[in-house]
Amino acid sequence: MTEVAALPLVARRRALTRALRRNPLLLSGALIAFLLVVVAVFAPLIAPHPADAGTATNPIESLLPPSWHHLFGTDAVGRDLLSRVVFGARISLRIAGLVLASSILIGVPLGLAAGYFGGWIDSVIMRVTDVFLAFPALLLSLALAAVLTPSVGNATIAIAVTWWPWYARLARGQAASVAGRPFIEGARALGVPPVRTLLRHVLPNSITPVIVQASLDVGGIILTAAALSFLGLGAQDPTPEWGLMVSQGQSYFTTQWWLVTFPGAAILVAALAFNLLGDGLREVLDPRRIERR
Amino acid sequence: MHRLVLVAAAAAVVLTPFALGATSAATTGTFTYGTYTDVMVGWDPSTSYSNEILAMQNMYETLTRYDSRAKKIKPLLATSVAKSKDGKTWTFTLRKGVTFHTGRPMTAQAAKAAIARTMKLHQGAAYIWDAVKSIATPNPSTLVFHLKYPAPLDLISSADYAAYIYDTKAAPAKQLPKWFSAAHDAGTGPYTIDKYAKGQEVEVRLKSYPKYWGGWNGGHYTRVVYRVIPQATTSAQLLRAGEISFAERLTPQLRDSFKSDKNVTVTSQTSFQNLLAMMNTASGPLADKTVRRAIAYGLDYQGIVASLHGGGTLSHGVIPPGLLGHSDSITGYPHDPKKATALLKSKGFGPGGKKLNLTLTYTQGDTDQQLVATLIKSNLAGLNINVDARPLAWPTQWDKAKSADKSKRQDILVFYWWPDYADPYSWFINLYHTEKTPYFNLSYFSNPRIDKMIDKAPSLTATNRAKADALYQTLQKQLLQDAPSVPLYDQAYQRTMLKSVGGFVENPAYPNVVFAYDLHPAA
Repeated sequence: MTEVAALPLVARRRALTRALRRNPLLLSGALIAFLLVVVAVFAPLIAPHPADAGTATNPIESLLPPSWHHLFGTDAVGRDLLSRVVFGARISLRIAGLVLASSILIGVPLGLAAGYFGGWIDSVIMRVTDVFLAFPALLLSLALAAVLTPSVGNATIAIAVTWWPWYARLARGQAASVAGRPFIEGARALGVPPVRTLLRHVLPNSITPVIVQASLDVGGIILTAAALSFLGLGAQDPTPEWGLMVSQGQSYFTTQWWLVTFPGAAILVAALAFNLLGDGLREVLDPRRIERR
Repeated sequence: MHRLVLVAAAAAVVLTPFALGATSAATTGTFTYGTYTDVMVGWDPSTSYSNEILAMQNMYETLTRYDSRAKKIKPLLATSVAKSKDGKTWTFTLRKGVTFHTGRPMTAQAAKAAIARTMKLHQGAAYIWDAVKSIATPNPSTLVFHLKYPAPLDLISSADYAAYIYDTKAAPAKQLPKWFSAAHDAGTGPYTIDKYAKGQEVEVRLKSYPKYWGGWNGGHYTRVVYRVIPQATTSAQLLRAGEISFAERLTPQLRDSFKSDKNVTVTSQTSFQNLLAMMNTASGPLADKTVRRAIAYGLDYQGIVASLHGGGTLSHGVIPPGLLGHSDSITGYPHDPKKATALLKSKGFGPGGKKLNLTLTYTQGDTDQQLVATLIKSNLAGLNINVDARPLAWPTQWDKAKSADKSKRQDILVFYWWPDYADPYSWFINLYHTEKTPYFNLSYFSNPRIDKMIDKAPSLTATNRAKADALYQTLQKQLLQDAPSVPLYDQAYQRTMLKSVGGFVENPAYPNVVFAYDLHPAA
């Protein structure tokens, strides 16, 4: 093991508990993120009117202000806003999960291959990612979402397409720095096949920054998905997507404040929580930072 | 990258609608109309058939004007109208001393040329002149129409579209369309174009035409400005600040917020406009009348009206109140899910049966239609019908509906209709008369018996209004049976304007138009 190799697991775990105690921001980020996941998983149990997150409507009770019966009030067609915000957590987290999974599955192998093999493989893969990175991410997502018919699935695809190149780049950088280390050379000299070297030696030593980046990105993806839905290019009614709900509440902004406030606050809280979590994790998992302590 | 996303999304979330740099409507003499979508879609007065009516009706005039309040036809460019006993010859005496904005005098020959050009181009609402066989001009102030069959020409000449009298010699005939689209007008109206800024918030500015035949004595606005403000909340703030004089449409909630405002007046009136759900009678599951009737029973009309908070009222048939043929005794389908279920079950659909998948299109950006689409989807979900509701920009929605490939068409299309002149004929000839290639008959409905009844309507209206009234009632009842469409609600026009704007009268025969010359600004 060299100084850049991953810390032993025990040490990492100890570092994590210590960091949680020392870093209240990381702790609160982790707590809120955990709560969001709980809310998403148990949405049908938490939401007071689960049917309102689907096709149910109740126009007679439309635009009611927050009350004990409807804690967040009701929307323009009489749906309970709390239930919709609760179910919205599911959609946002699902989009974030799918985008991250596909970005990592596409980006990391490509990046590792580029960084490890170098030469023309590196050039080809990196030029392709450069093409994707040449466009501002939100703009490319918008263009893609506009071409595809608007839906949650297509918004997920549109975001994933702009997201994976970052992981390819990140993984390439890590892999390239690991590839020249003596232990990799040793593996090569022993005749370990390249795929095995990549999986057993290069990947574990490159994955930490990817994990940190992924936790940081959850917030960004939730925001992008909300932005797409806000512009009518993502989720469609009656999907309880936060961005869509803010968009639908726009024309009631000054008269029925709760329509935009609660879904807007949900977006804010989710994005903030995952950013805090990601920042905290970076501190904990970055080996160089730990050594300095 | 991520910071960029953050900023963009944050901006979207807190999108507070404060507009910058604007001319103040409070300046005496300027009337500022706040609308929510582009005004000048077309410029040619012969083919105009869209939102430009807001400005056009202030730049151009028609031979007569319909007064919706008095339910009477009033003189405008024509001072009097006489018809022959058989209703086939109509003589219009024209006002003297009227000039076009081009400087040329408005004579019978010029008026004839304008109508003849509209008829020849035959676009937009030009069909209103279809009864005309020939036009004679015995002298410069007399216009005589000879008709193929009796038609209410005094009413037709008051139409909101395709009835403008303008100077066809403003430019050489071939260059006329180009000349118009370069932001020119050649009308006789009180106002003429001053500035046009396509796509800008302050889109159209009109100025007074000094030689207007009505004169400029007494209080009149000398400038009219059209501002495009997509967000209702922004409009409300601009109105509160006195930056606009008039808001075409706010949400009911925003309107209510003005009720205690001393400087603002709120009006509400029934209109000639209704929202319809056109069902595909030519292909797909709705080609079956029983399924269409089931859908009609499945919709909660009261709920739709409730969600509009005063923006609409329950429909009684296809014809809105205030028009010939309207009768409160005609009741549409009640909301009866049990009956709907029974009808669906007889066809193998409904709860427990096959799932029915339908596509529905509505116009993007219209919050009322969006509400309605959500409610329809919700109502029908309980009947095991899945509605895929798609918001589309109107041109896209229309193109899809007109596709030659029937499989590309929607099952249900939601859109508004309003008449081209104060008469119900427009609904029937456009929406329910057989069309070889679909244009506005977006139910693709065809019933020869109904066609025959529709064909009789115009001449009956010209000769015997009571019989025409009965005919229109029979037609509506028959259409309820065949259910090619269901009227969802009759629109109410709700305006919000500064108290300083005096003399505003809603005239639904000219939808959303404010005749600025008729207003008198408070000193």
